[in-house]
Amino acid sequence: MDVLHPAKPRVVRTWGICVIYSELCTTSNFTFLRGASHPEELVTRAADLGLSAIAITDHNSLAGVVRAYAALKELRRNMDEITIRSTKRVDPSSREELQGQDITLHGDHLPKLIIGARLILEDSDVDWVALPRDRKAYEALSRLLTLGKRRSEKGSCQLYYADVLEGAQGMILIALPHTLEQEASAHIRQMARRYPGHVYLGAAPRYDGSDQEYFNACQTLAHSTAAPMVAVGDILMHHGSRRQLADVLTCIREGCRIDNIGTLALPNSERRLKSPADMARLFRHHPAALRRTQEIADKCAFCLSELSYEYPDEITDGEDAQSRLERLSEAGLNWRYPNGVTDQVRALAIKELALVKRLGFAAYFLTVHDIVQFAKSQGILCQGRGSAANSILCYALGVTDVGPETITMVFERFMSEYRGEPPDIDVDFEHERREEVIQHIYEKYGRERAGLCATVVHFRTRAAIREVGKVMGLSQDVLSNLSGQIWGSYSRGEIGEERLRAVGLDPSDPRLMQTLRLIGELIGFPRHLSQHVGGFIITKGRLDHLCPIENAAMEDRTIIEWDKDDIDTLGILKVDILSLGMLTCIRKSFDLITQHEGETLSIGTIPQEDKDTYDMLCRADAIGVFQVESRAQMNFLPRMKPQTFYDLVIEVAIVRPGPIQGGMVHPYINRRQGKEAIEYPSGALQEVLGKTFGVPLFQEQAMQIAVVGAGFSPEEADHLRRSLATFRKMGTIGTFRDRFVRGMLERGYEEDFAVRCFSQIEGFGEYGFPESHAAAFAMLAYVSAWLKRHHPAVFACALLNSQPMGFYAPAQIVRDAREHGIEIRPICVNNSNWDNHLERRSDGRLALRLGFRQIKGMKQEDAEWISACRGNGYYDIPSLWLRAGLAPAALERLAEADAFGGMGLNRRDALWRIKSIRADKPLPLLSDPMDGEAIYEPGVDLPTMNLGEEVVEDYVSIRMSLRAHPVELLRPLLIGLTPHAELTHIPLGPVDVCGLVITRQRPGTASGVIFLTLEDETGVSNVVVWPKVYEQFRTAVIGGRLLRVRGYLQREGIVVHVIAQEVQDLSPKLAELGHPRDDAIGITDPKTDEAPRPATPKPRNAWHPRDQAKKLFPSRDFH
Amino acid sequence: MKKRIISLWFPRLHSDRILRRQPMTGPFAVTAHAQNTDRLLCVNQEAQSAGLERGMSLSDAHALCPSLRSEPHHPQADQYFLSGLSRWARRYCPWVAQDGGDGLLMDITGSAHLFGGEEAMLNDLGHRLGHARLNARWGVADTRGAAWALAHYRPGIAAMGETERALNSLPVAALRIAPQEDVTLQRLGVKTIGQLTKLPRATLGQRFGASVLMRLDQALGTHGETISPEAEAPVYATRLTFPEPIGLSSDVMAALERLLPALCAKLRDHQMGARTMLLICRRVDGQDQQVELRLARPLRDAARIQPLFERGVGTIDAGFGIDQLRLVATQVEHLAVEQIAHHAPQSQDGLHDLITRLGNRIGLDNIQRFLPADSHIPERSFKIAAAAWSEPSGTWVSPAPRPIRIFPPEGIAATGNAPPKRFRWRRQSLATARATGPERIAPEWWLMDENWRSGMRDYWRIETQQGRRLWMFYTPQNPGWFVHGEFA
Repeated sequence: MDVLHPAKPRVVRTWGICVIYSELCTTSNFTFLRGASHPEELVTRAADLGLSAIAITDHNSLAGVVRAYAALKELRRNMDEITIRSTKRVDPSSREELQGQDITLHGDHLPKLIIGARLILEDSDVDWVALPRDRKAYEALSRLLTLGKRRSEKGSCQLYYADVLEGAQGMILIALPHTLEQEASAHIRQMARRYPGHVYLGAAPRYDGSDQEYFNACQTLAHSTAAPMVAVGDILMHHGSRRQLADVLTCIREGCRIDNIGTLALPNSERRLKSPADMARLFRHHPAALRRTQEIADKCAFCLSELSYEYPDEITDGEDAQSRLERLSEAGLNWRYPNGVTDQVRALAIKELALVKRLGFAAYFLTVHDIVQFAKSQGILCQGRGSAANSILCYALGVTDVGPETITMVFERFMSEYRGEPPDIDVDFEHERREEVIQHIYEKYGRERAGLCATVVHFRTRAAIREVGKVMGLSQDVLSNLSGQIWGSYSRGEIGEERLRAVGLDPSDPRLMQTLRLIGELIGFPRHLSQHVGGFIITKGRLDHLCPIENAAMEDRTIIEWDKDDIDTLGILKVDILSLGMLTCIRKSFDLITQHEGETLSIGTIPQEDKDTYDMLCRADAIGVFQVESRAQMNFLPRMKPQTFYDLVIEVAIVRPGPIQGGMVHPYINRRQGKEAIEYPSGALQEVLGKTFGVPLFQEQAMQIAVVGAGFSPEEADHLRRSLATFRKMGTIGTFRDRFVRGMLERGYEEDFAVRCFSQIEGFGEYGFPESHAAAFAMLAYVSAWLKRHHPAVFACALLNSQPMGFYAPAQIVRDAREHGIEIRPICVNNSNWDNHLERRSDGRLALRLGFRQIKGMKQEDAEWISACRGNGYYDIPSLWLRAGLAPAALERLAEADAFGGMGLNRRDALWRIKSIRADKPLPLLSDPMDGEAIYEPGVDLPTMNLGEEVVEDYVSIRMSLRAHPVELLRPLLIGLTPHAELTHIPLGPVDVCGLVITRQRPGTASGVIFLTLEDETGVSNVVVWPKVYEQFRTAVIGGRLLRVRGYLQREGIVVHVIAQEVQDLSPKLAELGHPRDDAIGITDPKTDEAPRPATPKPRNAWHPRDQAKKLFPSRDFH
Repeated sequence: MKKRIISLWFPRLHSDRILRRQPMTGPFAVTAHAQNTDRLLCVNQEAQSAGLERGMSLSDAHALCPSLRSEPHHPQADQYFLSGLSRWARRYCPWVAQDGGDGLLMDITGSAHLFGGEEAMLNDLGHRLGHARLNARWGVADTRGAAWALAHYRPGIAAMGETERALNSLPVAALRIAPQEDVTLQRLGVKTIGQLTKLPRATLGQRFGASVLMRLDQALGTHGETISPEAEAPVYATRLTFPEPIGLSSDVMAALERLLPALCAKLRDHQMGARTMLLICRRVDGQDQQVELRLARPLRDAARIQPLFERGVGTIDAGFGIDQLRLVATQVEHLAVEQIAHHAPQSQDGLHDLITRLGNRIGLDNIQRFLPADSHIPERSFKIAAAAWSEPSGTWVSPAPRPIRIFPPEGIAATGNAPPKRFRWRRQSLATARATGPERIAPEWWLMDENWRSGMRDYWRIETQQGRRLWMFYTPQNPGWFVHGEFA
């Protein structure tokens, strides 16, 4: 008759006996919407409490175990560091700062991690905690879970008692009966007979006042079923303070509000991790149950590190992997260097091969090589990105196209001994044909050996606000205010009091503050598993021995339960099969050039260092060019004036959040233009920063500074980079910063420089480019620029055919092409195909014929029928209907696009005729009317369209117009405007411009400034809206499609800006074009629209406000 | 005689209704959930001038106009409001129907002259609606379709026989055609009704089916369209007038015996049951005497109601005599017809009658019953409800034993977290014989409950040597012992 202890004793000793306890049943938050603690927190807390072992047992899942494993590894690594350096320490579980020096982790015995899962069965009231004893048992568990997951839909797992009875060899099974009824005891008895010595009965305290009676009943049941009783905690959270979050999660799961949660709520916070002493007190009458936890922990010898990865055999072809790699790379080098391999290259290759041999990654290179080889054999363009370009081997094997002549290859960045981690090769493929590569991998290795890895989808700020807010019953207004406050910034859940007041929320409202705290706790919780974009795992043996596999949302896809960090942690190799639109565009360009010019080109054979190409880029004539087509890049190009390939590499790397945040852009450009002296902080850093005029721009350089400047070991520097990406999880960023700045000060650098370097490293964590990656991208940028310069028609055509991709909408691409003197021909049923294509003009130049793919709502199949049945051409509409078998709806699409112009029918007449065709297929009797029986319709004269209507129709159908620009038509109505073309040479001063909004950006790095690009018939203008002006003209800036801006003209070189002072929304003027669908004009592409604005263009169908919403609120009907 | 129709449209009905109740200035919108987001259903004038419009999602609207206040749509309330308006509109004509969710149709054929002509009638209407702070637009024409078109597109009056001329220049959307058809017609260049009427009918029929033609004909009056007003609600009342005044309560009861079956028959016809009944006795001196009967459940069984009246009838002061009795069911509830089963379910009629009898003495609301509530907190694991307005429901399951009686915690002098061996409670000296527990209950964190300020509680069942079995708790966060209940 004792009490639950109230305080939290940190001493493991009670009553003079040292108690040992292992927690065998914990539910982490990877049991989605149930567990209330991260696996990392559980492990850290277990270490804190001095548990001898902890098992992470999520419901039918192994998704969280790797996190726990990684956290434990981290703890082991950091142990000395943390205790030596400071006496103050942040309690990692509660994030509170703990005072005093008597807090030491029980460093000599960190808890042992036991891998396991809690099996929830469909047909039994008994849950089973399955803890594999060895690798074989682990494989069985993984297979068992795969079985359950594969037969149910995504995210769920159906297991039956019989499955467990069948496939639980070698696992410790702890029964957790919901009730101590007859059926439960029968199940336990049967299981105990099947796996003698492995089955236990778990007794979890329930804190409902009857625990001792319950334990006694369990004891009795244990006797009768021959399953010894063992103590478990049935843990839901690492710390009692998470009870509130646990209740909120319950509400989200059950879809109720917190006020209606009732008895679903936890009655108390006792399902937290407990110290051994507490457990000893609870189980004082059953010491054996406590002792058995340790017995079981000792029996479970399996550790995730045993999951040694084995490469598939196929790649070796019976040859030894290393020798095959050597042979292939030799051949590759000879192919790359037909004039003989230089000594330097040879030396690099030998060094890399030696390292690969030592680490045993040869097979991995071969796997990637095979995939790339397959793609090449199919004519699919591909290119390695990321750090892979740091390797001469990848260059020799044709995975990357950037040679050691252009960049310094830092092989250590790619692969190194101390990291002991596999390299990471990401390969981009054409976005339209990536699926072929994926299917090839499935085919070659089989589905049971190849799988995609998962991405853990976390609660982000918005989702957390929405869900918690709903549960806590906050009103919609408050919620959208909260969301509005964190718009754009990825705040870490901390919203200041004054900001709350600013939006009219009351910081003294306890419910609101509770909600905010809970939102902060929920952010970062995993929500569900989703499919990774392209990370493939290929194994030698069965993949489901490695990790449970579940069905993905996409048909024919399966994903494993772990995400790419988990894979990294365990040292399992993966190949990223990514897709890149620009590759598609380049391949299509090459095809078109072959077809029309008879030349065969490839990325490798494009003439390098072409002066014309660089000149074009210096003029910022870069629409469509990979990576340098964005607004910021186009502004930067004329200042940067790239002359060589390496300039492009810098161009790609510099306009990124990392360097911008670190304030590196201006120093660099000033030094480059000679406005500022090039100086180096020290001789040592000159070596590191020599190439970039003493300004760190690349990830490698930032790491090198940490090593050379701040005295980090290479290992630490890398650790720093990694922890930046994930610092939220462990919260150790501050210590790194102190250490970095101190290290630099000690070595005689200025504090200002040190702080700047560090903030740049922070930025790099998520948004930086390594030099190699920048080089790989710069290569594509150069190729696309070259194509644009020398084959503009081909490039525009390929770009249009590869949409959606890139930064600009088809309208801008077409406009750009026309400005380059290319004739654009309209869509025509007698000439167009699905794709845009080129037609040879009589003067020998190429003209671009728009294809049916530009028409909104047109199906590819219909378009192909049109081309296939065309013969000598269609002479009227019924011939299209009859021969190509087009449904009236498709014909309407064509009429709306004015595709019948070639047969002398205007839009309205065509539409009028098509409207009379109501059947999908011709009826046999009516299609051949007898003489005199045909019905002749009275002729109808429809009003002819004016130019305004035509233009709107063009926009409605193909989102652009070849006839006229809307602003051109409205210009007579607007007085005092400056056409955009004149902005480059009129005197500076106040101007008025007007145009359609084509892009709207609010970069996170520009402190709330909004950049608008307006387009009129003469060109574009760049408008800068400062936050103050934005607040004043918010509605117009966000919602306007046609804007008139009054402001000041500014010019720097050839970069022209209008600094807005007054913004006027002229969108209603578009209605004066006289068409019901004028709203189709000026809708910006979501991907170019980073600024706040109404999320989706509204599908309005009628101009009257009352009618406009009918589709949304269909309840209204007429009588 | 040609018909004359008013179409009355309340473009901001949803927001007007709310703003009438709680006037406020600044942008305001009513939202409804559609296509997975909350969207604006109705905006007030300020919100509209801030650039908000119907159909926009709420978050977009907040981005455009941060000071926007909103309330969710309440369809029933709007419906109720509109039917109120339609009852009000009967002051102008007897034939009023609702049109969609935000409009009324009034057939004023032959009633306009009562107000001094259409013009004057509309002036009056507009004046009154303006006074009621309602935005309204109206159109008057010979046909319902034309009136609708005018109300929505060009408010005003089309004189008799001028329908076609009034409609000619209106956009085709005014014909109540589907938005899709409207856009198609406009794209073909047919923008006004006038243009549409000029097109050959055959070509239209082939291209748009019958619907466009039908709407056109309805507007022009070549195709009839009816207006169907709502039916009047039934009145549940009967009366009996006597040739000679009566004065004895037995006479009143006898009269009631005639009135009740008639009223009950009417209730049965409408599948209703009376919840409150009122017996009004008119005396010869013109004074009224009233007897109210409140029933514990809806009832229409004359034989059971009759005796319940006895007590009330006894209190009537007949004065010089009563010459008329009127029996009204003032409050009725739906009561479905029950099938007569072979094994009739256990009837609770007796209990209900008892509640009625008691309730008519001490007030029906004073008879209460316990209902289970869903909470771990003992004080909140039950709730008290008026017996007449609740059904015994739910099951009383508790995972842990609960005392039969709980009372506000009474502190006792004891320390330590183990149950005291001896203690004094209510002036008794008690000794613990057996203690079972603890059951730990933590406060419901989302409520700020004063009683739970002391934090979580460890509950113990204490059997005393003196025989009392108490439910006590200890508050570890704020040490103290309390007695909270007693087991039987």
